[in-house]
Order: sequence, then C-alpha cells, then structure tokens
Amino acid sequence: MTSLKDSSPLTTHVLNTGDGLPAARMALSLHRLDPQLVLWSLITVGTTDSDGRCPGLISREAFTPGLYKMRFETGQYWESLGQTCFHPYVEVVFSITESDQRYHLPLLFSRYSYSTYKGS
Amino acid sequence: MDMTSPLPSPLTTHVLNTGMGVPGAGMALSLHRLDPVTSAWSLITAGTTNDDGRCPGLITRECFTPGVYKIRFESGQYWEGLGETCFYPYIEIVFNITDAAQKFHVPLLLSRFSYSTYRGS
Repeated sequence: MTSLKDSSPLTTHVLNTGDGLPAARMALSLHRLDPQLVLWSLITVGTTDSDGRCPGLISREAFTPGLYKMRFETGQYWESLGQTCFHPYVEVVFSITESDQRYHLPLLFSRYSYSTYKGS
Repeated sequence: MDMTSPLPSPLTTHVLNTGMGVPGAGMALSLHRLDPVTSAWSLITAGTTNDDGRCPGLITRECFTPGVYKIRFESGQYWEGLGETCFYPYIEIVFNITDAAQKFHVPLLLSRFSYSTYRGS
C-alpha cells in the first residue's frame, strides 16, 4: 500500500547514530543552483519530525533537473542537546538528471562523523 | 634526522574510493578558512591527492588557528576522469577547530552514490 503522506519526489531521513535515535527537530533547507546566476535559491526550509523525516520538501512540478543542495543544521542540533559537534553544518550537493525518479537522501551522523548516500 | 623536511601538517586527509576499493588518487581538493568577520571563505591551499589518496602539506602549524575550515573535494571531476558519473559534483566538509594544538585527520570515503567522513587521528 503506497504511503500518501509524502508525495515529494525528494525525501530525507536524519539519524543520530551517536545516540541510536532519529534526529528530531533538526533544521534543514533545500536549495537549487540557478545555473545562469551561479547562485543558490532557497526552495524549502523545514524541521525534522520525531522520526527524523521532513515531508513535503519539494513538489513534483518544481523538481526539475539541476544541482541541488540539502543543508542540515547539525551544530544547532547538538547544541540543543548540550553537546558540541565537529561539523557546524552539513551541506550535501547533488546532481539530478532524471527528475521523474524518486530520490532519498539520508544523513547518518554523530558528533564527529556523518555519511550520506543515494537511497530509495 | 632530516633537518630540512618541513614539519607535517596538523591537518591531514585521506580519500578512499570505496566503490572500487582503491585510494582516491589524483583528486583535486582545496582547504579554506572562514573569516569570522566577513563570513567569506579564504583559500589556504589547493592540491591533488597522491597515489595513496593523501595530500601532504595542507597547512602549517603556524597558520592553523582555531576557526571554521572547509575542505572541498572535486568528486565530480574525479569520477569523470574515470569515465563515470557521480551523484555529488563536489563535496565540501565543513568543520570546527577549537584546539589547534591537536592533530586532525578528515578522511573522505567515497563512491559514485555515497560518501562519509569522520574526525580521525
């Protein structure tokens, strides 16, 4: 049964691997690179829910081929937990060539490490 | 004891191509420091990884002051040189140095569709 909760063709899932928990209430933002101006345009600002997800990042119509960037406010997140973090923020820049697909961009992170991959 | 060789950089990196199980050799990268007053990035060093995926001499102990730094890895160019596409046209790892007297190792483990980094030693 298909979930109708998130129709965005681009999704993320943020996991705090240091504590073994979803990263709830992390601020993040999605940007697209304007190829002519060589500037980043803000598309969406959001905060992860209790499951570390942020539905509704972008609509299918707005999701055109190009360069995108997801910025995760990791420093703020750890600060709210009373901890420091080696990475004040994480920006993942990625290239979308076939915008009719679905893209899942998780972030697994701790205070001193992070990883990301193109998932489904 | 060799008195002429420079002291090793307090900041090092190591690029590993996990997709192919080899060091990430010949990858262009650059180190930048954030100017806290202007919020602009200043280029410190530009280099290319050697056959072992390393890039010695990133910064001197004297220049390595506390602050926010970033290493930019030209991942797209790297994979293009191998005849492949990459999901990430470039990778920037931004990190915070509070105690510049320590040594910091910032590796990058990279495939065409994933990457990871950590603070190592």
